[in-house]
Amino acid sequence: MELTRIEIILIMGLMAFAVRVLPQVCFVGRQFPEVWDRLLRYLSYAFICGIISITLFMSGARFEKEAAPFRAVALAVTIIIAHRTKSAVTGMLTGMILVLLSSLVR
Amino acid sequence: MKAAIPIWIAFIPSSLAWGIAAQAHGLTLDEVILMSAWVYSGPGQFAVLVPLAEGKSALQVVVTGFLMNLRFLPMSAALAPFFHGVNRWVLFFSAHVISASSFIVPYFQFQKDPAGEPNEPAAARSTAGYGRLAFFLGVGATSFTVWVVGTAAGFAAALGCPPGFEEAMKFILPGYFAGLLVVEMKCLTMALLCALSLIAAIPGALVSPRWGWLVTAIGTAILVWGWEQWSLHVSKSS
Repeated sequence: MELTRIEIILIMGLMAFAVRVLPQVCFVGRQFPEVWDRLLRYLSYAFICGIISITLFMSGARFEKEAAPFRAVALAVTIIIAHRTKSAVTGMLTGMILVLLSSLVR
Repeated sequence: MKAAIPIWIAFIPSSLAWGIAAQAHGLTLDEVILMSAWVYSGPGQFAVLVPLAEGKSALQVVVTGFLMNLRFLPMSAALAPFFHGVNRWVLFFSAHVISASSFIVPYFQFQKDPAGEPNEPAAARSTAGYGRLAFFLGVGATSFTVWVVGTAAGFAAALGCPPGFEEAMKFILPGYFAGLLVVEMKCLTMALLCALSLIAAIPGALVSPRWGWLVTAIGTAILVWGWEQWSLHVSKSS
């Protein structure tokens, strides 16, 4: 059976909603044992780092090798500034300015 | 809502970019808005754009989207314990605005104010649960609105940004996430985990652009967690 694009989007959304809602309904108010809570936290941090990495350095299946060194430097500076100032926004803005400058230079 | 401002700033270029890309691939405005509002997943939407626009099999599109959206499972599970006492129907509907960004900000906020102790009165725990839900919705619902409106605006505008500007905009989301992680980082194990996940995602994505980074993230987390548990076990027994 051929599905229209709207139908495919509706199915996709339904599956995304199920993934979001199941833990909310099943685990609400429950404290996980410390050991599992730690695993869950580690999984979340690993996902975030994965998202950072693919957003910065990948374009689909391609590694953006020309821009990667500049973005890596900007990321490193962001991390240092955020760590020093204890401010994520200050770090992000510094990194953004660096990326902007590097793209103008290139 | 103040806590959501960096997410709004980060969502504007991403949502505009998604709207522009979707129009370029031939999606209609209805499809773009429906997808942003109902699927509400930046990486998932980008991942399925080409197969959806090219008329690839529905199964391929749905499986790709599902794999990309699986990351919401641990995010939602990590938030759930903080909403003790909240009506399940309210949670049922509010769960829709969980995204990577609307997870990170409330999660870090709740870490500073941990979930109520089991011996705390039920009413107090429930009040705290609703308070946290209000914070979560302040971040999540407003970010959701910015995302949907931004994609529609991107579709309408469909204008290319100057290359340098586009490049800087692309840095907002990962830069903000990295800053948040660093500010909240408390131990060396966490730093090790973040560094490993950051590096491992690249070969993972090269091997499989759709879910390679997801597998490496899960693998790295389990590896570091297992190593930590083993170290604790050894130190206890010695």
